[in-house]
Amino acid sequence: MRYRNATAYRFLTPYLLIFAIFWIWPIISSFIISFQATRTVPWRFAPTFNWGRLIGDPAFYNALKNTLLILVIQVPVMISLAIVMAVLLNSPLLKARGLYRFAFFAPVVVGEVAYSAVFRLMFSLDFGIVNKLLDSVGLSKIDWFSNVTPAMAVIMIAVTWRWAGYNAIILLAGLQSIPDDVYEAATLDRVSKLKQFFYITLPLLKPVIVFCAVLSIIGTMQLFTEPFLITERGGPGGGTETLGLLLYRQGFRSLNFGYASAVAYTMAGLAIAITLVQLWLTRDPK
Amino acid sequence: MAAVTLTNVVKRFGGFEVVHGANIDIADGEFVVFVGPSGCGKSTLLRMVAGLEDISGGEIAIGGKVVNDVEPADRGVAMVFQSYALYPHMTVEQNLSFGLRMNGNPKADTERRVKRAAEILRIDELMQRRPKQLSGGQRQRVAIGRAIVREPQVFLFDEPLSNLDAELRVQMRVEISRLHKELGVTMIYVTHDQTEAMTLADRIVVLKSGNVEQIGAPLDLYDDPSNRFVAGFIGSPKMNFLKGKVTEISNSAAIIELVNHGGAKLRKPLGQELPAVGAEVVLGVRPEHFCEAGEGDCDIPVKADVAEHLGSVSYVYANAGPEELVIEREASRQRAGDDHFTVSIKAERSLLFDKAGARIR
Repeated sequence: MRYRNATAYRFLTPYLLIFAIFWIWPIISSFIISFQATRTVPWRFAPTFNWGRLIGDPAFYNALKNTLLILVIQVPVMISLAIVMAVLLNSPLLKARGLYRFAFFAPVVVGEVAYSAVFRLMFSLDFGIVNKLLDSVGLSKIDWFSNVTPAMAVIMIAVTWRWAGYNAIILLAGLQSIPDDVYEAATLDRVSKLKQFFYITLPLLKPVIVFCAVLSIIGTMQLFTEPFLITERGGPGGGTETLGLLLYRQGFRSLNFGYASAVAYTMAGLAIAITLVQLWLTRDPK
Repeated sequence: MAAVTLTNVVKRFGGFEVVHGANIDIADGEFVVFVGPSGCGKSTLLRMVAGLEDISGGEIAIGGKVVNDVEPADRGVAMVFQSYALYPHMTVEQNLSFGLRMNGNPKADTERRVKRAAEILRIDELMQRRPKQLSGGQRQRVAIGRAIVREPQVFLFDEPLSNLDAELRVQMRVEISRLHKELGVTMIYVTHDQTEAMTLADRIVVLKSGNVEQIGAPLDLYDDPSNRFVAGFIGSPKMNFLKGKVTEISNSAAIIELVNHGGAKLRKPLGQELPAVGAEVVLGVRPEHFCEAGEGDCDIPVKADVAEHLGSVSYVYANAGPEELVIEREASRQRAGDDHFTVSIKAERSLLFDKAGARIR
């Protein structure tokens, strides 16, 4: 038995080595680096250098505020939308279900740069289709990228467009696992479709909703592409800078790896904390 | 309480007809069992009564009122599903009261009904548990309880015992019978298990391929089936069918040669319908209707293959020519190594069918 285990581990060695070098070590290393002053040569151990700066850094609080704002608004909207989409996809009345399923899932496979470019164009002040539509219904144009609130809205819309369908497909799998006869029993109990949705579908779908929410929270905490590409590096004036972007700016533009590592650990810690709180809030009562 | 009447009820799925004009009258307070093999349309019929399937043709009336276009909840029926269909996230108490609470039923009345159902089914101690914390039998009780609290005119059961083990099935069967006596409401029960049908029903409706084959009291179907399908379906072990040929008609009786048994002949007195000489027929004999050699009207030698000893009786699976017969014998009669023996058939305990399966009386 022991020999068989040893053979298995020998086969796993190449993967485990790569995993250790490129995953485990960077995680440990960045934790160590976060306690080092990295803008001096050589780097020196200074436990409060980065963490102390983090606590007093307005740029960090700005990025944290932006990230949490997106999290608080975009994630619930997207999950709600995904639930509605999943319920519609699950409807026996729907024709060409496969086509819709593909269409909802397609945004995930579109390249991030391409999708960001399209969103920039769509929301462009003079040429964008969104402003043209606003114009055509008599509303004034919006300068989406020069003001913070519209710029944040564009990011939220873009992220929602990209990930709502993905979550809908996961939720659809959850919906399909709810047996039909539970609904039939409720129909015989004179429970309306709407009440069936709130009292049967949602509670039974809760584990899947929580799963989607956890994935989305982690994704949003790491949000980088959209503020980097759509609102041009967190513009206007850092108004859409997220923690992911702050990390990038500190690590790869200012080459301040110590501070970037501290930001990275803060992001991971926050994601874990928020997820734990959420799991606790949505736990099954005994 | 209400009578249920099905008149020329047809069900089509797309262009495919699965129920071909069923006519069934169920009296107020009667316990009727729909029985038949898989795919015979019995569950579809039940679901049409419940309103969970549209009716493609014909009429269904409950309590004298046609309900074809009436919503399931307004038909006064309650259904117990094969899979129990309990709400998994609710406690037993919430499961029982859910429908009433959703419809704004007064709290005191809801509590009274839930309490009564719990007492009837002896599930008082399970009220705070969730379905996954219950055994199969307990879940089935809760499912029945959910039907009881609705105080329906008609109870519908869709193979409610098929997920239970044999012992529990017997126990639940007795409980359902008791429940029927206690509540006195009309019950329609679907099963593929003829034993359940025989033990529970006031009347049985035998279905095959979407057609009603026969309706009658359990023992009437057992003693006097109208065709070979019903004869074979009702009774366990199944009736034996022996191939025969009419060789002569005399004095309102047919002389039948059992073609697989060395020319053994049986004189079968008949009524009005006499088959033609030369007609191929099938003789049906129940396992318990074979008698000892010489005691009947026609002896046939058989070779025992396997014997099942059940204590009070034994079932001997025997070969007689190309036909396999099941013969019930008193346990003591079947000795070890007694491979070859002769049994006899009494004409009055046998049934005659034509080649197509219709009964010749």
